[in-house]
Amino acid sequence: MSKKPRELANVGAGLWKATGMWAWLLFRISGLLLVFYLGAHIIVISTAAWGSDGGTFDSIMKLFEQPIFVLLDLALVVAVLYHALNGVRIILMDLGVGIDRHKVVFWSAMAVVVICFAIFAWVAFTYIITGEGVAS
Amino acid sequence: MKAEVVSSHKGGMWSWLFQRITAVLLIVCLAIHLIFTHILSIGELGYDNVGERLAHASLTAVDIILLAAALYHALNGLRMVLMDYWFTSRKRAIALTSVLWVVGIALMIYGTWALWPWIS
Repeated sequence: MSKKPRELANVGAGLWKATGMWAWLLFRISGLLLVFYLGAHIIVISTAAWGSDGGTFDSIMKLFEQPIFVLLDLALVVAVLYHALNGVRIILMDLGVGIDRHKVVFWSAMAVVVICFAIFAWVAFTYIITGEGVAS
Repeated sequence: MKAEVVSSHKGGMWSWLFQRITAVLLIVCLAIHLIFTHILSIGELGYDNVGERLAHASLTAVDIILLAAALYHALNGLRMVLMDYWFTSRKRAIALTSVLWVVGIALMIYGTWALWPWIS
């Protein structure tokens, strides 16, 4: 079997080699992290509805303005962006778009991750350093 | 042996389809959510500011859609992972799916309740 049909067969069976295996593993790990985060996020943000003055919510938001939490937010952004863009790649594979160039599709998706991350890193570090938002 | 293993590809046609539909919804709604929360109003995350932002019906609608799509996508994703390792028999898979639906509906009701002060 020549190289090209074999690569196509691997994608079809879901048995992606090397790059695909890591893509799959990181997709799964980031997905599980995001499930955990979603639960925590719902509980934390819902504190705004506890009581009537939003006191609990405001004190938690104050805590989350600390640099360490902003850096954790950036780690979360990496998980979200990777999961989102690898997900886009999977949908493209399902639709049959770019199957014969699946590695190019994967690395293009990762380039989008890096570009989007740079925007969020700029916002986060501007906030850590100046205490101001980029739009304020 | 084949019958014993319920792989992620055998999670069901509808859950496969809804996982993709919610994925697309998530990309759109999450982008709006993150841009409004963390790029346009970072550093102004207090009870009053958040309330002001959520008072716009369209953003509340985005948040409700986001909540529903994220819950479905997250719990169905978790179901896929768990079915690969522990909930491999059909009986266990059905029990898992039932429990996750209850958890998902409860969190949807709770999340909507939490958003309610700003909706009404």
